Amino acid sequence: MASTTAEVHEGHDEGQGGHDGHHGPSFLAHHFDTPEQQFESAKLGMWVFLVTEILMFGGLFAAFIFFQGVKPEVFLEAHHHLNKIQGGTNTVFLLTSSLTIALAVRASQLGNRNQATLQLLATLAFAGGFLVIKYFEYTHKIHDGLLPGPGFCNSDLVHLSADAACRAMPKDAHVFFSLYFMMTGLHGVHVVIGMGLITWILLRNMRGDFSAEFYTPIEIVGLYWHLVDLIWIYLFPLLYLIT
Amino acid sequence: MATSETHDHNHDHGHGGHHVDPLWLYLAVFGALLVMTVVTVGASYIDFGGASVAVAVIIATVKAFLVAFFFMHLRHDKPFHALVLASGLLFLSFLFLFTLSDNGTRNDVDDMHGKPVVKPPPAASK
Repeated sequence: MASTTAEVHEGHDEGQGGHDGHHGPSFLAHHFDTPEQQFESAKLGMWVFLVTEILMFGGLFAAFIFFQGVKPEVFLEAHHHLNKIQGGTNTVFLLTSSLTIALAVRASQLGNRNQATLQLLATLAFAGGFLVIKYFEYTHKIHDGLLPGPGFCNSDLVHLSADAACRAMPKDAHVFFSLYFMMTGLHGVHVVIGMGLITWILLRNMRGDFSAEFYTPIEIVGLYWHLVDLIWIYLFPLLYLIT
Repeated sequence: MATSETHDHNHDHGHGGHHVDPLWLYLAVFGALLVMTVVTVGASYIDFGGASVAVAVIIATVKAFLVAFFFMHLRHDKPFHALVLASGLLFLSFLFLFTLSDNGTRNDVDDMHGKPVVKPPPAASK
């Protein structure tokens, strides 16, 4: 028994390495030949995942463009209830957070741990700012009765909400607000998940897990966060700016 | 080829060479994204007729390209990653194409807008 393990271990040392026979840096998983191969595999996997994310949001975008085409006048009227300034500020917040996480990746490439920590903290701050504005937008809309469901502010339901603004609300406006809450809500969930992931790599970075040779998790979380930004780049003009 | 020559691409840590882009490039891309955000807000005050969604989508696509190409490092990546992305976008375009083709013909085939599908015969006699 003892001799077999020794034999196996010896075989590994001669060959390409095994679970405990180090064949490369400590961060290199045993099923990869080189750090480069490991890095490329991680990135490829992430891109495949991002494509599934794009397709998931794509369904909602298709629904939005379809209904916008069917009832452009309803969408035009309903979208006036969105605040362009809040939406624009959130766009700038997300673009800035995309820059800071790209700079965090760059700092990691250069092995500058403190700089990466600062950039990740800045990314978290802008992401948090985005959610705070989103919170004010949602509460304002829910207060105005713009959340689809019972009591939705609509000309059909003036007996429920006898607001003058509601009487002006076109029929079928709930279609716009359903899509608004669904699309921004799903996007918001992604922001929250992204913040969790950024916190995770921030802590690992502070612990000293990463170096110029190994910063794969920062790169991968960066790709995810850029996708969150990409989705918003389309959401903002379609929801807030249609004419 | 041409892009990799414009910066120090031999910044090699001995593991296949991760390209480190210069800081100014990130800031320039960020500046361009901000400018295009202002442009897209400005465009929303201009009447493009039925093309306003198209204008918004085109500007957004330029912004998305900048993010993917520079921030997500697609320009240094293996072309296969871009191919994965392109394959996703191809199928997304099928979804949009068929959905919008429905959109363009919808009023002809149903009575969503109060138009009867088939005009009843003028004198429906027994």
